[in-house]
Amino acid sequence: MEKTHKSKKVFVEGPISPDFISKSIASHQSKTGIGAHAIFLGQIRADQKEAGVVTGIEYTAYEEMANQAFQDIREAAFAKFELTCMHIYHSLGVVPTGEISLFVFVSSPHRRAAFEASEFVVEEIKANVPIFGKELIGEKGEYVWKENS
Amino acid sequence: MSIHIMYFGMLAEIAGQAEETMVADGNLTVGSFRNLILEKYPAMRERKFKVAVNQRILEDFVPIDMPAEIALLPPFAGG
Repeated sequence: MEKTHKSKKVFVEGPISPDFISKSIASHQSKTGIGAHAIFLGQIRADQKEAGVVTGIEYTAYEEMANQAFQDIREAAFAKFELTCMHIYHSLGVVPTGEISLFVFVSSPHRRAAFEASEFVVEEIKANVPIFGKELIGEKGEYVWKENS
Repeated sequence: MSIHIMYFGMLAEIAGQAEETMVADGNLTVGSFRNLILEKYPAMRERKFKVAVNQRILEDFVPIDMPAEIALLPPFAGG
């Protein structure tokens, strides 16, 4: 029978704080079978657009479908790589430039699986999770809709 | 037969609402549903979007099983 992994809460309101990330790392000290963590952090970039500079991104999602998509990605990653555990957090609402909107944290006995799984998970999220982003520009309430390439 | 439609991102702006209920006959495919929507909201013709029926993205030839929750999804931007 296929091993299933408990579904976890992914979405957080607003930016993901460095403090939250450091606490997540600390909470793995008791899991001594782990030899390698790989962490990916997505940060909001101050892109230059025609209308001005991006000051932040406002995220929305089709939450029910997105939560199922995250769960499918978790299952696929556990099936494909030798992982001890995995955590994914993604922001909803406004995240200002310079702050973190995506935190992917995979842990394995060995580095290779950790590196590869983190890339796999990030690419899957970008391609397959129904999250939408409005890039906020300047002070006057202008924006453009973001699209992953 | 009534279908529950959800709009996201720029499509919600064009529709002027995040969701609505539409009455349709029982033999809709994803493609014929897409055409109904484009007739109602011509501005969506210039937008790329996928159609998810009961949370699954389906191709245009697939028939829609009722009752359906249909979501119009603009390009994804997670990360």
